[in-house]
Amino acid sequence: MPPQIFRLVLLTLAIIVSYIIARYLLTPASFGQYGFYRAEALAEAATPEPVFAGRKACLECHEDIQEKLLKGEHKTIGCESCHGVGREHAQNPDVKLGKIGDSGCLRCHEDNGARPAWIKVIVVKDHYRGDKCAGCHVPHQPNEVP
Amino acid sequence: MKHSVSRRQMLATLGGLLAGLASLAAARTARGAVKKVLVTTKAPRGYDPHQHKWLMCFDVDKCIGCGLCVDACKTENHVPAGPMYFRTWIERYIIKKPEPGSGKTRGEVLVDSPNGGRDGFPPTTVPREEILKAFFVPKLCNLCEASPCTQVCPVGATFDAPDGAVLVDPNYCIGCGFCIQACPYGCRFLNPETRVAEKCTLCYHRITRGLKPACVEICPTEARIFGDLKHPVENDPIQAFIQKHRVHTLKPHLGTEPRVLYANLDKEVR
Repeated sequence: MPPQIFRLVLLTLAIIVSYIIARYLLTPASFGQYGFYRAEALAEAATPEPVFAGRKACLECHEDIQEKLLKGEHKTIGCESCHGVGREHAQNPDVKLGKIGDSGCLRCHEDNGARPAWIKVIVVKDHYRGDKCAGCHVPHQPNEVP
Repeated sequence: MKHSVSRRQMLATLGGLLAGLASLAAARTARGAVKKVLVTTKAPRGYDPHQHKWLMCFDVDKCIGCGLCVDACKTENHVPAGPMYFRTWIERYIIKKPEPGSGKTRGEVLVDSPNGGRDGFPPTTVPREEILKAFFVPKLCNLCEASPCTQVCPVGATFDAPDGAVLVDPNYCIGCGFCIQACPYGCRFLNPETRVAEKCTLCYHRITRGLKPACVEICPTEARIFGDLKHPVENDPIQAFIQKHRVHTLKPHLGTEPRVLYANLDKEVR
């Protein structure tokens, strides 16, 4: 074999081998398990702890309130929709949830020009303002009047 | 210097190379296995992405524009507070009546989304008598089957997971922003803190634990419906939704085949 061919073969082999070594070192271990990406990224995306506790966690203690809620029009509303994040409270009942002001009600029930017809809305300046919302309405049983 | 390679030498070299290749492959498999044991993530065990196919549905008629979902999403996913960073947001469409005698079906279409709807929507300045109709449209990642964002990623950092979620691998994203331009729905943004592209993950850390995404959990009117196409539960809300409503997707002409379905969608919504 002529020497220049031999050198070319050696060079080609060296390039191929260095490519294979580089590829081996640079490819993440879980690459290709699910597709053309690092499969571990899925597990990493699932790693953070959830913030909102979820309705089931509330029901462990507050089933009575759920029963009331299911009778009225607020039955579709999750606890944390109004009461805010309840994870800490669910783990330690001594941690109290924040108070809900009138703004909590108005977020859904103030007329803003685009609400669907089925939801009851008020125009704040035309509505009775002698008391807080909860003075006349029962949030857990909106159909009832106290 | 004389070079002569005998047949024996050449065969030995080739054989050695082949053996090296084979052992490299084996070493890689072994490394993967070891890494799997040693690298502990807090991710829930036993979640197989091949066993699920997630789907999100919206009933536009049920959305009241309270913006609780936007707030919940930001809280749950620690999304930066600025008004440009949203994984989900709500748009308010106000369609004015046409000018009398203009021969049109509708007048001007006003769309706004103050702070993504996170703080709710202030009363509109458009007088009631001028409004033909108005509604809210919640938006998030459209979970495209043929997702343009994953096609343009130059480093393969974003991908379609087997369960239908489109995710970003933050360790490999270089923050070039191609995917942000490619998404026809505007569902991605560059996180100013991490400098990588970010988007709705369907609350991947929640759904893998059997919880609903935060926006679905918090929505007070069940305008958002979330479910698994591979494991329909009894009285499955997704199946009922598709059966009951005529559903539509956003920008179907783009061929992205979104798996986010909208009921009662108006033609003006883009």
